[in-house]
Amino acid sequence: MGVTAVLARAAAGRPRVLLTATPGGTRVRLAVEKELRSRDWPAATTPAEADLMLVVGPDCPRLRPAMDRLWQDMPQPRVRMRVTTVGEVASVLDAGRTRLSAPDHSDIGPDRTDGHDTSGESGSEGHMPSDREAGNRDRSGDEDTGRHHDGSRGVDRGGEHQGHRGADHGGHDPGAAGHAGSHGEAEHESDGPMKGDGQQNHAGHGSGHGVHGGHGGHGHGDMEMPGGLPMAEPGEDRDGLMLDRLHVSLGPFLADWPTGLVIRVVLQGDVIQQADLDAPPSSGSADAFWARPWLRAASGEVVYAGEAARWRAAAHLDSLGRLLSVVGWPAQAVKARRLRDDLLDEAQTKEVLPRVERLARRVGRSRTLYWLSRGIGPVSTADARAAGVTGPAARAGGDVPARYRQWLTDVVRDVLRLDDTARLDPAAQESPRGRWDAVRPPSVDLARLLPRLLEGAELSAARLIVASLDPDPDELSLTEQELARG
Amino acid sequence: MVEAGEWWMLLAAPAALLGFALVAVAGNAALDARSAGRSVTATAVVRPFLAVPQALVTQQRRMPAPDRLLWRVGVVVVPVAAVLSTLVIPFGNHVVADLSVGVVWFNAMEVLTWAGLWLAGWGPNAAFSLVGGYRFLAQGLAYELPLMFALISAATGAQSLRVTDVVGAQHGLWYAVWMPFAFVVYLAGVLAFSFLGPFAYPAGRDIAGGVLGETSGVDRLLLQAGRWLWLAAGAAMAVPLFLGGGAGPGLPTWAWSLIKTLLVLGLLVWVLRRMPVIRADRYVELAWVVLLPLSIVQALVPALVNLNL
Amino acid sequence: MSGFTAALALLGVALLAVAGLYGAAWALRISAAPLSVQPFGSGLDPSEHAVSRFHVRWYTVTMLFLAFDMEMVFMYPWTLVISAMGPSAVIEMFVFLAVLLAGVVYAWREGALRWA
Repeated sequence: MGVTAVLARAAAGRPRVLLTATPGGTRVRLAVEKELRSRDWPAATTPAEADLMLVVGPDCPRLRPAMDRLWQDMPQPRVRMRVTTVGEVASVLDAGRTRLSAPDHSDIGPDRTDGHDTSGESGSEGHMPSDREAGNRDRSGDEDTGRHHDGSRGVDRGGEHQGHRGADHGGHDPGAAGHAGSHGEAEHESDGPMKGDGQQNHAGHGSGHGVHGGHGGHGHGDMEMPGGLPMAEPGEDRDGLMLDRLHVSLGPFLADWPTGLVIRVVLQGDVIQQADLDAPPSSGSADAFWARPWLRAASGEVVYAGEAARWRAAAHLDSLGRLLSVVGWPAQAVKARRLRDDLLDEAQTKEVLPRVERLARRVGRSRTLYWLSRGIGPVSTADARAAGVTGPAARAGGDVPARYRQWLTDVVRDVLRLDDTARLDPAAQESPRGRWDAVRPPSVDLARLLPRLLEGAELSAARLIVASLDPDPDELSLTEQELARG
Repeated sequence: MVEAGEWWMLLAAPAALLGFALVAVAGNAALDARSAGRSVTATAVVRPFLAVPQALVTQQRRMPAPDRLLWRVGVVVVPVAAVLSTLVIPFGNHVVADLSVGVVWFNAMEVLTWAGLWLAGWGPNAAFSLVGGYRFLAQGLAYELPLMFALISAATGAQSLRVTDVVGAQHGLWYAVWMPFAFVVYLAGVLAFSFLGPFAYPAGRDIAGGVLGETSGVDRLLLQAGRWLWLAAGAAMAVPLFLGGGAGPGLPTWAWSLIKTLLVLGLLVWVLRRMPVIRADRYVELAWVVLLPLSIVQALVPALVNLNL
Repeated sequence: MSGFTAALALLGVALLAVAGLYGAAWALRISAAPLSVQPFGSGLDPSEHAVSRFHVRWYTVTMLFLAFDMEMVFMYPWTLVISAMGPSAVIEMFVFLAVLLAGVVYAWREGALRWA
């Protein structure tokens, strides 16, 4: 173990972080992103490349199975940590690295108790560190069940999946129902021949899959299924060909994606034939970070228009950062995010204005970016208004470039108004995503635009469309039912 | 004048390639650190190399029903083809093997990445990887022909497919000077077959890493290394093809090769950050309607010059 | 050392390095047992095998590409004989290329180069 230990310690110097933020966790996510950037801990896009899973934000039961899925797919050495407050970000990251650098933590050993014992010590403020769990699945299972709901984890998972696949989609999508059922077998089969670590790992949740395996395993009864999964089946294509269709889910956890938003797409090649929006998860925390000034003003507090402008600019920069990351321009995405963080740190107009203007020039006038995104996801002002959209997406009234240019224009305008001491009228001034309405936040209507725009789009264009409308998961989680009913 | 076939070149050529690739990674890390507002220190620059211990200690992952053999083959092909391309790249006065069809050899090795990356996307049996693998083929359809015409322009200028003859034919005037379009198209091709920066389309963040998405451990390391090795190989090949090889005043030829390669590499690393990822569905049209006819016209120039001789 | 031997030897060096890496990882990895995982599905389980008849919408471009690729087979040797053959070689080659380019223009007009 000598050399391995040395290498593991070295490897822990730059953990690749799989960031999973829950709705309501925006404030903490921003703090985490800033800290990761200053530490040069790169963001992982998939569990395969991740060392450290960071669960950011309040607990969200509906997202827990998806998080567990990601966690189970991460190879060792791996550590899972939870951050719930801004103050503990640095200490949790430090603790994560410490645990990564001591590989015996994450190595087998059902009797080890370090996971929970050390959590208090490394966990700063005392509340939560539930997810600070290293090690094998047994232990991760313990940690979840022990913490959230005794021993009911397996059932919970089953119920969750049944809810997604059976209720939402089973009706018009036989393939999905079939595979939901067959998946239980997949787990069992692949576990069968494995010894030691792997077997232990799966023992904990095998029963969970079994639960929903029992519900719906009818779709592909007699077909031979290598790995327990059915093969893709052909379907009519927009070009009039019969080719295989893949059912892929965009979200809940995808890099630079509004977390929790789930769009189930049917792909042929890389073109989306069909897109369905799931009801967004609710975290119950109801903290819509980007709408805070409007919420406070609505509750009668005195909020200055300058503060609202600062918030709006930062929100747009956050969206721009995501968009630029999706289009594969990380160098500019970093600039947008640094500006966002500086604005939230109360930077003054004269400090940020030149940088904002430079960003607006670089990105807004980039011919390459325009050439790559023009004509994608057109939403005319009239269509937007008809759909209830009021924010920059409606004012832009056009395709993806129209929307990101609108954001940039708005950011420059807002940065000039940071010292505005007029009082914020929440009904008259737009919140980042549109006119604020506590019953039906503007993001709801943005999200509802998506399925129609996504159908017929290529996968990368679809990502651009979502990023350019950028519904806010916090706002969506405020009104779970609203969106589901449509 | 050029010495080929010394046995030590078998080790020196891959080592030099690796060195250039490491320099490129470090340079990129420095630029990253600067734009993220971190201080650019020696430690900051070498931090990406922690990917090596990370790859070595990582547990293996087993996907449901992967095509393990083809996946592994694909992953290995990318960096190995990059190393094989150095067979014909002269460095100063030395080259591993001065093949009479050196230009074709380089071209052939580069095309191997098509197979490698597609297999790397196909192997894991995962939707996003599969999309990523096909993305590279679409990208290949766009970048490959202009690149081939750029290579042929240089070969036509020298009337030889031997790389050292191409160097020798540039007495006084570099091909980059009187075939600037071929040079630019060649550099774009280098970025494209390294699938980095604006051509990172098959490994795009929008499809969760694409061909890289399901790779971990050494597989991932090899694919990532393959990208930078290819960038280095492309930069090294630009020197004999377009920049007169080791020719230059004052310094020994190896020094000129080194300086020129580093300059080209620096230019490429700088360009990586200047543009968003160019999607193949837009690039194909540009490549076929604009770049291809122009590169054919570019190839006509040395052909006509040859007739006058 | 002939070119062929050199190529094989270089391949051997590269493969040895790759094997060395895999060997080192085999010896040093933190857990000997592989981890059973599902392909990444944004946190959800996959619903079917991804390996499928993938609809490549750019297949018409591959036809065009094939035509030019064959042309390349002629063009590489052609570079060696321009002076020897004189103007006729250049004229023939570029007329041939012009014919192919006419095909590209036609395919472009038909929309074969756009698919998304």
